Amino acid sequence: MSGNLQVLLLDDEPIVGRRLKPALAKIGCEVEVFENPEQALIRLGQKEFDVVVTDIRMDEIDGMQVLQFVRERWPRTNVIMITGYAMMSLAREAMEKGAFDFIAKPFKPDDLRRVIAKAARALGSEIDFDAAEVEKANG
Amino acid sequence: MPVIIVSADDFQQGREIAHRVAGVLGYRFLGRDLLARVAQEKQVSQQDLARALDEPPGLLSRRSRRQRLLSEIEAACLEQLLEDNVVAYGLAAHLYVRGVSHVLKVRIINEPEQRANILAQTGNIPLERARKLAQRQTGGERRWSQDAYQLDQTDPSLYDMVLSLGTLEQDKAVEIICDMVGYRKFQPMTYSRKCLRDKALAAQVRLALMERFPDIRVEANDGTVVAYIQSLKKDQRKKQEQVRQMAGELPGVRHVEVHVIRDYFGQAAQSSR
Repeated sequence: MSGNLQVLLLDDEPIVGRRLKPALAKIGCEVEVFENPEQALIRLGQKEFDVVVTDIRMDEIDGMQVLQFVRERWPRTNVIMITGYAMMSLAREAMEKGAFDFIAKPFKPDDLRRVIAKAARALGSEIDFDAAEVEKANG
Repeated sequence: MPVIIVSADDFQQGREIAHRVAGVLGYRFLGRDLLARVAQEKQVSQQDLARALDEPPGLLSRRSRRQRLLSEIEAACLEQLLEDNVVAYGLAAHLYVRGVSHVLKVRIINEPEQRANILAQTGNIPLERARKLAQRQTGGERRWSQDAYQLDQTDPSLYDMVLSLGTLEQDKAVEIICDMVGYRKFQPMTYSRKCLRDKALAAQVRLALMERFPDIRVEANDGTVVAYIQSLKKDQRKKQEQVRQMAGELPGVRHVEVHVIRDYFGQAAQSSR
């Protein structure tokens, strides 16, 4: 892997993308945000991302379908599932289908940054998690 | 890596299997040794702790003491389970670690006749007596778990897997459990670790408060603690404040919410005086 970590973020609530995009940019991620799963799938058909972060419960296409699509098309990509409806059965299903991690909403941007850093490490890359910390400390 | 919790209808067999699984996987074995540590740290008798795990309460007056002892064990056990690579046995963890996806819960059972045979051999008693004893033990297990945790620990739906030693050799049971650990769905994730941390925090808070509020129920979510207590209307504010203060001083607690369940029986008793 070379250059910035390529991340696709899919959540049908616009606020999630608006909050997380700058938070991930601080640790050197290049983020493409989608609110529409269909458009996200079109993009995923065109480009191999390092990490995909997807909400699970969405209209028409759900996050599990996105996970399956990515696992088949880009096996190297790490998929992180986020949901406000977390429960054990759903978490197990996601992991069984190949999710890299599963996070319950609400979460802090730092929680996702930590998981993204872990996903990057799994791909053989280090991302500067401290950069965000320094920026936060400096206000 | 995951946490494995083993429960069994025959204590020795279950212990042996759990111990062997830990050995094969290179995991830590968490068993009744924990009671010695709890006894020392909390200045309680190790025998009393073991009895709380094994015997149904005989008298109503002893119930609250037993619940206190079980809460000590629960809090200590959950603390240990926060670290991965653990096989737990004999601490009733299958009854209080529920809904955590990286915890694999296994129940080991014998066929009734096989169990009677074991009891007849180990106790040197006639087979017919052993059959009755086996039935009594199963009933006792059921009563104990229902009384302590409002769950029937012989219910297969509590477990991810039930293995019968009537159809499997012990070696095979060990092998199956070790294989299951490799399944992706039992791998720890951010959410499941958080669930376990929440349970550990709730257990610590409950333990700290249960002497003053014996009927307290506690839930935790990422440092926010929600406590449910019973109270008469006139004591409500005072009790809420006490809970807030006591819980708020505990490590890991960031915010405390107290909900009061009205003590109608206490209120009726007061008004009739």
